[in-house]
Amino acid sequence: MLSPLRQILTIGRWEVRRSATTMPREVIPVAVALFILLIVVTGYTQESGIHLQDRMYTAGVDSAETGDIILGDPRFTVYPGTTGERDLTVAPPEIRAVDTDRGNAALKAFRTDYTRYLTAQYNREDDLFAAYPLWIDIRYVRSELDFTATEAGTGVSGAPNPYANPIPDRPVRPVDEPSAEIGYTKEELRAELVISEGEDSTVARYTDVVAGEGALGNFKTPSQLTPPLPFDAIVLVFVFIFPIYFTSQFYMMSVMNERIERKGEILLSSPLRPSAIVIGKMLPYLVVMIAVTAILSLTTGETAVALAAVFPVILFFLAAALLIGMAARSFKELSFISIFFSTVATSYLFFPSIFANIHVISLISPLTLIIYAIEGTPFTLADYFYFTFLFWVTAAILFAICIVNFNEERLFTLHPLREKVREYIGSAVSEKYPFASLFGITLFSIPFVLMAQLMLLVLLFNLPMPLSLVALIFAAAFIEEWAKSIGIYAIAVERPAFLTWRNVTFASLAVMAGFLLGEKLLLFATIAQISESVFGAALFTSLQVLWLPLTLHFTGAFITTSLLKIFGKRCYPLALVIASVVHGAYNLYFITGGI
Amino acid sequence: MDLRHVYVITKKELRAINAEKTIILAILLQLFIAMFSSFLIVGLAAMYDPDALSDYSRQQYPVAYTGSPSPLEGLLRESGDFVVYEMDLRTAVTALEERKLSAVIWVPDTAPDADNPVKITLYTIKNDIQSSVVNSKLRDVFVAYENGLRGIRADRISSDPIIVALPPEVPGTNFYEFVYGLLIPLLIFMPAIISAALIIDMITEEFQHNTVETLISTPITFAEMVWGKVSACFVIVPVQAAVWIGLMVVNGIHVAGIVPILLHVSVASLLMILLSTFVALHYRERTSAQFIFSTALVVVLIGVLSLPANPANLIVLLSIGAAGSEHWVVLAMMAGILALGMAALNRYMHVVEKTALQ
Repeated sequence: MLSPLRQILTIGRWEVRRSATTMPREVIPVAVALFILLIVVTGYTQESGIHLQDRMYTAGVDSAETGDIILGDPRFTVYPGTTGERDLTVAPPEIRAVDTDRGNAALKAFRTDYTRYLTAQYNREDDLFAAYPLWIDIRYVRSELDFTATEAGTGVSGAPNPYANPIPDRPVRPVDEPSAEIGYTKEELRAELVISEGEDSTVARYTDVVAGEGALGNFKTPSQLTPPLPFDAIVLVFVFIFPIYFTSQFYMMSVMNERIERKGEILLSSPLRPSAIVIGKMLPYLVVMIAVTAILSLTTGETAVALAAVFPVILFFLAAALLIGMAARSFKELSFISIFFSTVATSYLFFPSIFANIHVISLISPLTLIIYAIEGTPFTLADYFYFTFLFWVTAAILFAICIVNFNEERLFTLHPLREKVREYIGSAVSEKYPFASLFGITLFSIPFVLMAQLMLLVLLFNLPMPLSLVALIFAAAFIEEWAKSIGIYAIAVERPAFLTWRNVTFASLAVMAGFLLGEKLLLFATIAQISESVFGAALFTSLQVLWLPLTLHFTGAFITTSLLKIFGKRCYPLALVIASVVHGAYNLYFITGGI
Repeated sequence: MDLRHVYVITKKELRAINAEKTIILAILLQLFIAMFSSFLIVGLAAMYDPDALSDYSRQQYPVAYTGSPSPLEGLLRESGDFVVYEMDLRTAVTALEERKLSAVIWVPDTAPDADNPVKITLYTIKNDIQSSVVNSKLRDVFVAYENGLRGIRADRISSDPIIVALPPEVPGTNFYEFVYGLLIPLLIFMPAIISAALIIDMITEEFQHNTVETLISTPITFAEMVWGKVSACFVIVPVQAAVWIGLMVVNGIHVAGIVPILLHVSVASLLMILLSTFVALHYRERTSAQFIFSTALVVVLIGVLSLPANPANLIVLLSIGAAGSEHWVVLAMMAGILALGMAALNRYMHVVEKTALQ
């Protein structure tokens, strides 16, 4: 019998040999050729631009000079002469737009072009300080208060009193009076202005409300004074996540291949442990991912931080790939579940890191750490723990579930996805100690619940305020009720006789205890910062008083379970909805200040 | 080729798609991507430019004015967005740290017509969403002050730009280009990309599960089987595109030229499906086929988008009713390429049948 480590290494070696021999020979040269082609095409596109919004608007101009303002903008088709039906008619100083949505949009496009035209003129002015007589030097102050205080968007102390100056509570700290000297030469400033003039891309068109960070850092002209959009974040997410997604596909497919025509039977009948098979097969892909991440991080710098931040994400993707490879019935299902999963996971990583320097929600994405490291924002080991905790825990739980279920019965049966998930959960229920199992299942579902709820938070963030809160409350309640009842549902389907009234009550109690303990452990420990914002309050009300959430969690689980008992498993969705409405109504009442 | 056989296969595949509920996942995915991109644009715009979503409330922010007097103080008060306090710098910065202020402005005693520029120091809180909002409101005031200073120094400016008197901004126009210029082509082409990935799974599955032999031992030929799968993947594209357009229209987004849009999407999607069918027939193994296809797709998409009057651009123009009749020419050209592609694929199928299956 080989030691576990040897087993893993053996399987890993087999996996490398297998993928090297089964992959058709021409794949590598074709891939290389396509990659070269991709570089060529990208280069060409950068030259010619993306022609997606070309010729959306028409404009009539009175002279060639006027036409020059918008001639470089492909969105406009420019006609000489100011007669005729055009979206926009420009005869300086007059400008006229058709009174339609398109006309207004054309006017908006013209406005940006005109600003750019003026800027270009001023940037070439001999006396730069006559054209740009005002410069703003931004100094950032670190708030002494916890920055969650105002991040809900509302002021701290209500409307300011216009008749009395605010008086600080603490002793006044001396501040050096800033000098009136600018510290840059005219030509340094001009060079920077000319560079930022060229920052016009299709992306910038959408984000014209936000400007990039210039080389002069916090020294800007008034019109550059907009919060910087961390373009780094956008690029980073795709640079780091895309290879991970791609490589995890190969792992997923390798697992799926074992199931085709029962090929994996030989492997399963060998004395190798399932955990050794799963981890051994994963090893080559893990090594590739780490290597790719390390290479990519050479371009961004901060290799150590990048690896540390991306590693839990890699594990999470691999764990999910394993589960999908084990559960999918067909290639089609495999494709869609994996694309869906990776889209959701990518946006989970992506959205929050956009707000890296603005909003506390960025704390839920490990990629924010990389941005922090690049920007030089300090963070502690505890911060690293906050950022990555959910990924470590969920990856570990997923691996555990898959290893337990890595057997013939699960691998070679083709059940619909819903059934499969139920089976996987059912495998965690012990016949002897069903309540202890329910307690455990609920406890371990908490990290997933939290991830799903944070995802919701991220998605609903852009609805107008009261609506987003209400939607969040009910959707979050639904997810919680779902997680709480899923173990009971799994039992109820396999052993309908289990649901006696006594067991219904005990099961609800077990679920309640598991959920509460999990919530306490995880939320209190990790993301207290998020839970303190208004949105957090919507998600995590139950942390405040103990007996209230106990009753709430019990009631929710009890409603679902009793409905399951009375009306059978077919009414499960309806039971869930009813329980979440009760749950949501309670939370709403709580938040709107009923108590 | 017997069209009835093709129809049988098409029906079988459509039933399988329906039974596995993959199509529901696919639609969820598209919905998610639409939300994703809407969030990016609408959410970000709202975040940085609160006026984009009107009624954000006329909240007034407390700011401290320190340093030498200047017309800026008056401009700040006139804007109505701020409550301005005259304070000394140290007290103001300490109050800012305690969040009793939103920003502190320090103005030097540089003369308005001096050789050097006026350098204002702005103290603001880092990592704060409210500061972002305050900064974007302060920007407008600073720009007004800049224009004033520029006027004073006007005799030193040599260039003579064309002056256009721009009317005030109309609220609610921020998202026109996003909706028509990005969201619509994205949503309409998503089903095409999904179908192209779908056909690879359908074909390689038959090879990897060794079910091809069984299938062609029936009266159905190999070519009929593949064409049946192609048409199953194809028919769901215009249906989904039509549903998206329908949803847009229900939401009050007027879409012009629906019929030509659907025609363009159909031709383009069939081309993509043909491309992936070639790849699938060549490799007959999912991992390699999907890998090569997804890389090739990126190359093709980027390449096509860099051409003028590409199908995506035409769909944008058609949806806003700005397309001329030249889009028919493009459509005819695409249809020509499509016909050639279909003929080539048909030949290739026979080659595969002869070499791989005997």
